[in-house]
Amino acid sequence: MSKELVNLVVDMREEEAVKLAEKLLAEGAEPLGLLDDCREALGIIGDRFAAGECFVPELILAGEMLRQIGALVKPKLEASDAGAQKKIGRIVFGTVEGDIHDIAKDIVVFMLDINGFDVMDLGVDVPAAKFVEAVKEFKPQVVGLSGFLTLAYDPMKNTVQALKDAGLRDSVKIMIGGGQMDDNVAAYAKADAYGKDAMAAVTLSKGWIGVK
Amino acid sequence: MKIIAEKINGTRKRVAQAIQERDAAFIQGLAKEQAEAGATWLDANAGTAPQREPEDLIWLVENIQAVTDTPVSLDSANPKALQAAIKVVKKTPMINSISLEPGRIDVFPIVAEHKCPAVALAMDEKGIPKTKEERISIIGRLLEKTRSMDIPDGNLYFDPLAMTIGTGQENALVFFETIREIRAKFPEVHVTCGLSNISFGLPARKYINRVFLALSMQAGLDCAITNPNSKDIQTTILAAELLLNQDRYCLKYTRAFRAGVFEE
Repeated sequence: MSKELVNLVVDMREEEAVKLAEKLLAEGAEPLGLLDDCREALGIIGDRFAAGECFVPELILAGEMLRQIGALVKPKLEASDAGAQKKIGRIVFGTVEGDIHDIAKDIVVFMLDINGFDVMDLGVDVPAAKFVEAVKEFKPQVVGLSGFLTLAYDPMKNTVQALKDAGLRDSVKIMIGGGQMDDNVAAYAKADAYGKDAMAAVTLSKGWIGVK
Repeated sequence: MKIIAEKINGTRKRVAQAIQERDAAFIQGLAKEQAEAGATWLDANAGTAPQREPEDLIWLVENIQAVTDTPVSLDSANPKALQAAIKVVKKTPMINSISLEPGRIDVFPIVAEHKCPAVALAMDEKGIPKTKEERISIIGRLLEKTRSMDIPDGNLYFDPLAMTIGTGQENALVFFETIREIRAKFPEVHVTCGLSNISFGLPARKYINRVFLALSMQAGLDCAITNPNSKDIQTTILAAELLLNQDRYCLKYTRAFRAGVFEE
């Protein structure tokens, strides 16, 4: 646990954060510990964004820092015993049809990934049929639908319906999230839950799979 | 600098409510105040579901025309709504907008038949282009189409579609370069844009928007979709036109001063 790393990421000091991550790993720090630091930093950044204290470009930079630190940590994880990351579950994730927003989606996918999920990220503007195909092939326990604008409401509904029509609805739990989404939209779309941020996505998914 | 006044837009909650409740006074109020601030066109967007849009758009146009002679800009992608509304306009309206998106193909004949000026979006079925070159290419294809229908270049107001600076810090530069190239390649056309997309996601947006307006004007923007009642916009246009040698003997500026426009 490195308070310094958390602070550097929260303060958007990209170069210093990545350098510190490298240094810590070289000194033998636990790779999972660094990922915990990223998780904590992201929680703080998310709160600040919701409070209007930090803004979209900073979310993009946060995603970029996570990618870089994640890239340093992953090979160490695969090498170490403690981090023999047995995947705890599978998730199909994507931004629904007609919506091209991906900044927050990428952060959520990253968080799910470092929390032990095997995530298939379908990208943006994903038609319902593609979700259905992915669920058939990948057999996830959870499906995550991301959307930023109100134009995402009906595509979310359609995606849930398409999974029902394909006889797959009961085999998955569906969570939605993003900009204009909320509990009402989840009810409208007949999804199982709405998550307000990346940590909510992790909590929901872990809960459904039965992991603490 | 021409202004397409933006406030009568059904995607705004209060306006949507007025349309729903047929609150004529509210719409007439917006029309009057925007017209008095010197708008060139009053944009009317019903923002409603396709079945209701024609009657809602007609209602908006009738209420705007009840209080002002300023021409209307019919803001709809729905040819049925445009055809319905164009029957009740008193003056040739602006059509907002045409593009190379498949859904807008049927709007072109309306523009041609009624000899309307039109906002033309630099996009096609692939969505908003990433580069300047793609935008210019789409504009070229748009012009081929409009010229083949005898729509004069001078009736077209191209919108190069500014992307928010928060997700791409080079987006404004691309935008300015695109304007310059449009004016150089197609000297008769006009260039327009909305002024607030650029600052989406950032705080203290008005400072970004007004500098964006000034820099765009220097690049060749000659029309904007905006709020004509905004002091920020008014003063920015006055100062920018002055500096761009579009204000003989600085008369517009000094007259505005005497009229109290610059008072805080």
